Amino acid sequence: MNAASPARAPAASLAPTRGSAIYAENLSKCYRLYRKPSHRLWDVLFGLKTYQEFWAVRNVYLDIPHGSTVGIIGENGAGKSSLLKLLTGVTTPTTGKVEVAGRVASLLELGAGFHPEFSGAENIRLNCSILGMTSGEIDARFESIVAFSELGDFIHRPVKTYSSGMYVRLGFSVAASVDPDILIIDEALSVGDEHFRGKCTNRINEFREQGKTILFVSHDMGAVKSMCQWVVLMDRGEVLEQGTAEKVADEYLKRAHARGNERLSALNRGSSEYPRWGSGEVEVTGVEMLGPDGVPSHVLRTGEPFSIRLRWKAHQATKNPVFGVGLYRSDGTYVNGSNHHWRDQPLEILDVQAGEEGEVELSADRLALLQGQYYLTTFLYDHSKAAPTAIDHREHVLTFEVLDPKRQQHGMLLLSSRWSVRRRGPGGERQGESLA
Amino acid sequence: MFELVRSIRRHQRLLRDFVVRDLKGRYVGSTMGFFWSVLFPLVNLAIYAFVFRLVLKTRWSDQQPEEQTVLLMFAGIVVWSAFSEAVSRSTVTLVENSNLIQKVVFPSEILPVYLGLSSWVNMCIGLAFVVAGVLWLGYIDPLPTPAVAAAAGDPEYLPLAFGPSLVLLPVLFVLQYLFALGLGYFLGALNLFIRDVAHLIGVFLMVWMFSTPIFYPAVLVERANYGWVLALNPMYWLIEAYRAVLLFGQWPPFDALARFALVALVVLFLGASFFHKSKPRFPDLL
Repeated sequence: MNAASPARAPAASLAPTRGSAIYAENLSKCYRLYRKPSHRLWDVLFGLKTYQEFWAVRNVYLDIPHGSTVGIIGENGAGKSSLLKLLTGVTTPTTGKVEVAGRVASLLELGAGFHPEFSGAENIRLNCSILGMTSGEIDARFESIVAFSELGDFIHRPVKTYSSGMYVRLGFSVAASVDPDILIIDEALSVGDEHFRGKCTNRINEFREQGKTILFVSHDMGAVKSMCQWVVLMDRGEVLEQGTAEKVADEYLKRAHARGNERLSALNRGSSEYPRWGSGEVEVTGVEMLGPDGVPSHVLRTGEPFSIRLRWKAHQATKNPVFGVGLYRSDGTYVNGSNHHWRDQPLEILDVQAGEEGEVELSADRLALLQGQYYLTTFLYDHSKAAPTAIDHREHVLTFEVLDPKRQQHGMLLLSSRWSVRRRGPGGERQGESLA
Repeated sequence: MFELVRSIRRHQRLLRDFVVRDLKGRYVGSTMGFFWSVLFPLVNLAIYAFVFRLVLKTRWSDQQPEEQTVLLMFAGIVVWSAFSEAVSRSTVTLVENSNLIQKVVFPSEILPVYLGLSSWVNMCIGLAFVVAGVLWLGYIDPLPTPAVAAAAGDPEYLPLAFGPSLVLLPVLFVLQYLFALGLGYFLGALNLFIRDVAHLIGVFLMVWMFSTPIFYPAVLVERANYGWVLALNPMYWLIEAYRAVLLFGQWPPFDALARFALVALVVLFLGASFFHKSKPRFPDLL
């Protein structure tokens, strides 16, 4: 990969490098959006400009040498899929040109290229024929495709009866078995189960070893980073950045950070439709999450310090209000909850007068949550009675996102864990250790 | 045009799969598959025979015996159904296969080709019944010559018979196929630009069917001074040619056949050119 490749093609003088698997120059795709179907008729018949232009891909320059594994990342609607369609030749570019050397097998979307009424077996033949294989070639590979898909008897059922996982299995089996020179994989793979994904990863690694070109599309930075040396970052149809995985990944996270903040603040500003109850003597007037620099943010990073600040205001005198915070994952899993009363050294707020106001803050040195979306619920309960009663309980008061740039652990929680290895053999005993 | 032919040759295998799959879907899918494909035209025939023959008392001509009427109608229905099936299915086939066209590099030009082939196979099943009818009423249990015709020694009376003109049958097949293919290409592509075509085609084909002498003799149209309708209707020329060849063992009027061939080729050329020209835009239009 030519590290000096510009993100956009400034001129047509960039001749295709010898040995390019995929070469695209000044590639753009414009879709015409009609507000009403009849507008298309006026356009077709009289050439009236009754449409709005939508540039799904703009001035893309790509030069991918044979044998490289390239990742394309970007958020939803960044133009990744449109770009792939141009590269595979499904759609024709509005401007620019694409040159692709060799047979391309693509796994664009779930069930793409399948005829829903055809059985799995018929679809295998159909897809192979479309890819230009002869009857002999198809017959030779048919068995191995069926075996790889592990679909069993389902192979003779119409694919419309398949689950999404089965679609992917069939699709990948075909794409991987036709011996393509260039394999293009969209995010579809994430649907498969753990076992099949493992098989796919193995197969993809085999491809890499055979020196084939792989184009991998995802919005999962972790997956792209682990598989690709070269990454292309797209946004709103344009290539923002292309370069080594490390470099582009940083840029991507920065953007994701900014974007996430924008989106989440809009989300959090909206009036809450989540329940809130309590007697109301004291009110929680605001909730903020603060990042390591003490600045309010809706996007935090794994392993960094953070704090949660609750502003409150008393409307009536209250004897013993206790504030608490509950952390939930977006799917509702209760991750953590605490208040300042139930601790080894309880903190008490006693005899609050009407009109008083203030803040309480919960802080931690390390955010032990891994990448994902989470939300907060705040509790304000009166502990002066035998059983605490709600003063101001606010469900789902703030949504925030956690980014994990390292992606070394998977799941929900970051554990400061340690691996150790012991080896015994002829050479004696050896030990190795890796800290978290 | 040449590119289409080349593409079809290259995708022979794909084409065969589509045809086989389509026929299988029709004949194997349901429990009585094949039976339905036979029953449907027969029921059709029974309805039309009832309406036109028994209720409206349509007679082909004074010279032709009544029993021939049903067979004349049937031959017309079989040919027309195959033609209209090919055309109407080709109109919507691109939309139906949008999954393929939008997601993979798919040779969409083979879709109308396969629909034409598939409808031809169905037509052959229907024509087998026509042939069986001619065999029965013409040879095994011949119809008596009507008294009127016999008395007058009427030269216009035609007995059911096979003749050497049967060699023209493949020519009729091919011409009909090319005509339907041309229309199919044109309407299929047009339907992507103007989706209403899919709805219009049903009405259009129905009007066309009833303006073609299928359930009534052409003579009646001429007598009613609507001969110009026939002069503009290529399907009339075709169906009359089928009748002459299949039912009466006669040579069809060659001028009509030549006209049909010309129309079919022009329509095919225009339709295929339009299809080919708009093909790159298909994925965007779906």
